[in-house]
Amino acid sequence: MGQNRRERQEQLLGYCLILPAVIYMLIFIGYPIVYNWIISFQVVTAKTLGSKVRELAGFGNYKAVFAEVTFWESLLHTFIYTAGCLVIQFSLGFIFAVFFAKKFTLSKYIRGFIVISWMLPVTVTALVFKFMFAEGNGIINTILMSLHIIRKPIGWLLNGNTAMFGLIIANSWVGIPFNMLLLTTGLNNIPGDIYEAASIDGANSIQKFMRITIPLLKPTIMSVLVLGFVLTFKVFDLVYVMTGGGPVSATEVLSTYSYKLSFQLFHFGEGAAVANVLFVCLFFVALVYLRTISRDETM
Amino acid sequence: MKKIHVTYKQKNALLCLLAILIACIFLFPLYWIVVNSFKLDSEIFAGTPTLWPKEFTLKAYQDQLGNLRITMKNSILIAVGSMILSLCLSVPAAYGLARYRVKGMKLFVLVFLITQMLPASLVLTPLFLIFSKLGILNSYLAPILSTSTISIPFVVLMLRPGFLSIPVELEDAAKIDGCNGISAFFRIAIPISKPTVITAACFSFVFAWNDLAYSMTFNTKEAMRPMTSAIYTFMNQYGTKWNSIMAYGVLLILPSCLIFVTMQKYIVEGMTSGSVKG
Repeated sequence: MGQNRRERQEQLLGYCLILPAVIYMLIFIGYPIVYNWIISFQVVTAKTLGSKVRELAGFGNYKAVFAEVTFWESLLHTFIYTAGCLVIQFSLGFIFAVFFAKKFTLSKYIRGFIVISWMLPVTVTALVFKFMFAEGNGIINTILMSLHIIRKPIGWLLNGNTAMFGLIIANSWVGIPFNMLLLTTGLNNIPGDIYEAASIDGANSIQKFMRITIPLLKPTIMSVLVLGFVLTFKVFDLVYVMTGGGPVSATEVLSTYSYKLSFQLFHFGEGAAVANVLFVCLFFVALVYLRTISRDETM
Repeated sequence: MKKIHVTYKQKNALLCLLAILIACIFLFPLYWIVVNSFKLDSEIFAGTPTLWPKEFTLKAYQDQLGNLRITMKNSILIAVGSMILSLCLSVPAAYGLARYRVKGMKLFVLVFLITQMLPASLVLTPLFLIFSKLGILNSYLAPILSTSTISIPFVVLMLRPGFLSIPVELEDAAKIDGCNGISAFFRIAIPISKPTVITAACFSFVFAWNDLAYSMTFNTKEAMRPMTSAIYTFMNQYGTKWNSIMAYGVLLILPSCLIFVTMQKYIVEGMTSGSVKG
């Protein structure tokens, strides 16, 4: 009996520690997400913002949004952006991870140092890349021209065809060290004696990489890619500051489009509807992520 | 034997050189922010970018002093407030998840894992409506409450492994000596994990300091704007005053850089565990 009472007390104390944070997250993230679905079925404009009873819109907001070309464009842009970022940040992150996994004097120090780009405010990252990609006095044009790769300056972010490229490069700058770090952790978890055994059996380094590193790293690669997808897909600050979704709507993504509908046009219902599309996309990928991590590790 | 030794040394030097080169190229944007903040408007406008200011000047900073007084105060108050709030909630939660076998633990971890992945843009509209009903738009409360949602799940996931690795015997011994659960937490768990808790504090400060989406949406009045949304507004008005923009940028990246340089090791470790899972 005494044992039981102690156990119950322990449980109670545990809940007292855990629940405040859980409840906080449910209030400020959980509830807003539910509320977002409600708003998306209501007529919410600047006029009805403060009123208690709002008119129901049925699927009106969704219909209105789906009828807009910009919506489909921004959906497509979000996927293009995510795919582009994933390719660049994963491949370069992987190369960096393998390179810095070599044991030389500065390896750990420099690997740690380049991670700083991940911690900087995205606003500043966006601004400095905007400056570097500028047409007249941008350093990127200057370098490319002095290397004779281009003849005259390109307005990277002013041109619908190249603006997305600029965004992808800027985001990869933040994503590369992140990918590198996660892959490094995976590389370190591969026991060294497997490589030794392979060396004794006469395997060369390419064989070792293809037959040992890649297969054993597979779970890490999976989770890096899925997590990378989620983190990239939700982009807002970077696009908002660097291009504002422009020129015209060439770089409009779901989150910036939703923001525009809500806070510039005050069609809150439609903004919520677009955000929900973003939510559905993220939700499915997040499910995949949770499945991959619960398979190879215990919670 | 000697020959092998020499080639190892050479290889080491070569790899170090290559690593330095990579770092220089990769960190160039950082250098570019700093160096351009010390240039004159006219030098940036002149066309060809210069790698070092012709005339080293603090004018870009001086120009901003007036509005910096307000925006920096706002940024600091928001970041500190958010840091305190999220630590008060997330440190105990991380400890509870590591130490107590409560029912539904898996579900709680899941709540943090999922909420961490959801973006601000998803909850901007509903939070705006909720906050406007509560009448806390254009106050410090709105950005503090909202940015805490970024750091709470991160800190929980980041601190949990550390708490898990503290030997249970330590706390058991303390309990025999008459400590209860709460004082074991304050007297043993927290002091032992001091470096990671400090790292967690840094992260939550930086997350709130770096935020643009929430503060820009909820605090539209100029007097309540933090530095991130002020620099954005400034860019829209004076798009080409790059030296002023970069000067603002330097001040914005300063906390992250200072924290990073002083506790790089912990930050890098925390980043991996906080963003993946505990």
